[in-house]
Amino acid sequence: MVSVSNKTTTLPYKTLSEYGFFTGELNQLIPAARVLFYKPVSSLFSDYSFKSRFVWIPEGKNATIADDEKGTFLFPEGSTLIKHFYYPGQFDNPEGKRKIMETRLLVKKDGNWEAYPYLWNEEQTEALYKITGSTTPVSFIDAQQKLHEIEYVQPNKNQCKSCHNRNEELIPIGPNARNLNSIITYKNGKQQNQLEKWKAWGYLVDDRKEEKYPSMVDYDDIHADLHLRAKAYLEMNCGHCHHPEGPASTSGMFLTYEEENPDKWGVMKPPIAAGVGAGPHTYGIVPGRAEESILVYRMKSEKPGIMMPELGRVSKHQEGVDLIREWIDKM
Amino acid sequence: MKYIYLLFNLIFILFFFGCNSGGNVEVKDTSELHQATRDEVEKLVEQFILAEDGTTIEMPAGFYQLETQLILDNKNNIKIKGKGMDKTILSFKGLKTGGEGMKIVGKNISLEDFSVYDAPGDGVKTQHCENILMRRVNATWTNGDKSQNGTYALYPVQCKNVIIDACEASHSRDAGIYVGQSENIIVKNCTAFGNVAGIEIENCSNVEVFKNKAYDNTGGILVFNLPGLPVADGRGTKIYDNEIIENNHKNFALIEGNNGNAVTQIPPGSGVVVMAGKDVEIFNNKILKNKTSGISIASYQVTGFPMKDQDLEKWSPFSSGIYIHDNEYERSSSLPDMSKDLGKLIAAKNAHGIGKTQDIVYDGIWDQQISKDISSNPMNICIKENMENLRFTRFYLMEGEDNIKSYKEYDPFVCDLKIETDISVLQ
Repeated sequence: MVSVSNKTTTLPYKTLSEYGFFTGELNQLIPAARVLFYKPVSSLFSDYSFKSRFVWIPEGKNATIADDEKGTFLFPEGSTLIKHFYYPGQFDNPEGKRKIMETRLLVKKDGNWEAYPYLWNEEQTEALYKITGSTTPVSFIDAQQKLHEIEYVQPNKNQCKSCHNRNEELIPIGPNARNLNSIITYKNGKQQNQLEKWKAWGYLVDDRKEEKYPSMVDYDDIHADLHLRAKAYLEMNCGHCHHPEGPASTSGMFLTYEEENPDKWGVMKPPIAAGVGAGPHTYGIVPGRAEESILVYRMKSEKPGIMMPELGRVSKHQEGVDLIREWIDKM
Repeated sequence: MKYIYLLFNLIFILFFFGCNSGGNVEVKDTSELHQATRDEVEKLVEQFILAEDGTTIEMPAGFYQLETQLILDNKNNIKIKGKGMDKTILSFKGLKTGGEGMKIVGKNISLEDFSVYDAPGDGVKTQHCENILMRRVNATWTNGDKSQNGTYALYPVQCKNVIIDACEASHSRDAGIYVGQSENIIVKNCTAFGNVAGIEIENCSNVEVFKNKAYDNTGGILVFNLPGLPVADGRGTKIYDNEIIENNHKNFALIEGNNGNAVTQIPPGSGVVVMAGKDVEIFNNKILKNKTSGISIASYQVTGFPMKDQDLEKWSPFSSGIYIHDNEYERSSSLPDMSKDLGKLIAAKNAHGIGKTQDIVYDGIWDQQISKDISSNPMNICIKENMENLRFTRFYLMEGEDNIKSYKEYDPFVCDLKIETDISVLQ
């Protein structure tokens, strides 16, 4: 049973297990009753870590959908979003032995979202509340059998808001109608659109039919339109900051899925405060010339102060760079 | 006392002059300082995270090697206080992610008496703040190789009511003190040296910059307005009682060439540069030994960057309402810069003879929708100096590179203006 009551005053708990979101051995991450798995269509690159996400909404309450481009979910008090970050030892066997790095909770408390980061212990038996961040060496073999050895960085609590930020208020990024409007296979083997699943669980109340919701492509889907894939990639990896109400509004460069003005993507736009991040380049995007574009230069970098995004990675996302490079080269 | 200061300055200047090409930097000796333990560093990070409205964060003396950013998350009435610029030193050399070392958001915030070293991007960034004071805060980089340094040392952006007092900013690969997209600003009693730009005011309104020392930068004090930003244009800046001396440092924003950052185009030897500035008064400054030009007035067109129709709705590329008076000028015996296009333009095409340092240059680009003729002074550029001795050049650049002309006649520009600023809200 989930032990989180509608009263959130005692939060955060010292350990992840105290919330009761998972049953059995904690590291099996088996959701308790009323804890629902979800999977965004596209997501942020985080040093190739795997993520599994769950949502819990207090009994008798439900989320609604805002009337905006992405169909932002409006969650009730006490709602909790749970995200585990882990590395399988072998990427071609994601269900095999794995190392869970951290679990991040977003809890709606007293009307505002709070971020509670938990760091898993070496024994993989518990995750402990840790606000000051940490660095852990990790190695893994990717699907192409390439060995990666990195220093995994868990952000400190206040760094969460460097991304989860609208007008200096903490907000969730992943769960919205556009990013959950997809059919996934649930553990019971059934395939269902996630929005319908949330409704069936009573987690979402909204009258619209499936086809009325906004949608977004999966940037990993090589059969999808290149432009939409690139826009989805930028939305999920950059658009949280590069948004008119996000911390990177200072740059005048907006990388959201809905932004249709190429000037705002950085096309032939000199930088403002990029400083050393501009490298030898003049414009954010030079159509047809990815290698001369600051956007690609910063995505390729692994050097803090130059690399973008600033947080959430210490290594380069080669597939992401390739996607954006192809998009710019074909502009 | 004065002589000791002069001697100190002289040694400094000689030191930097000698090392311009190598880019080596004298680093303060911090070996005597207490090395903060892991627990002490952890506690400091925790204080920032646990801060509630009204908290004072005391930072004891010591050298703190941080591995994560210090972030104040939208709190009010916060004091962050060290034991002195030479006593409490926060080093961000070990940061693996995150751009700025310290990031501050909130209302009624004061930052006092500490140093920030070696942030990967910006030293101290304050965003969306109202009533932010920085006093005796130093931000710098200690890499011997300055090409590894970060972007801005002290960086308030999108703030309202900003006071930067008695701070120090050095060796940034862009601007030392950079105030962007903000309103109601005082920068006073500060020292900026060894940066590409010493003090830069960009897209800001109602600004007073006074009693600062800007020396050994590429450009001493800059007032810019750039297009395409949420705060579209800035208006109203006074620059007075500053010492703007020997800003002849190599432009090390890039190893060579220019990029899309306008500062990469600043020629070494620039005292004050106004680009697309609106209502700027520059007076009572000592502008000494800047080898290319004491004061430069430019339009955005000189950057060569494209201008977009939508930007022109809310922003103007022209400098207008510029009033320069009662400054002290002393020319350098060095030749003007030849490393940047704008330096070459001044060195080769000024109206007084090849290789002559200028006191004031005006790019002479005006809005022809206002007047067909510059002799009517359509952009309200006013200069009241000792005109007989002033070395003034107005360029004519509007017919392409092959038809550059220059004029020393200042008659159309001898006038005065009333520039309005009001910093009473900050006193």
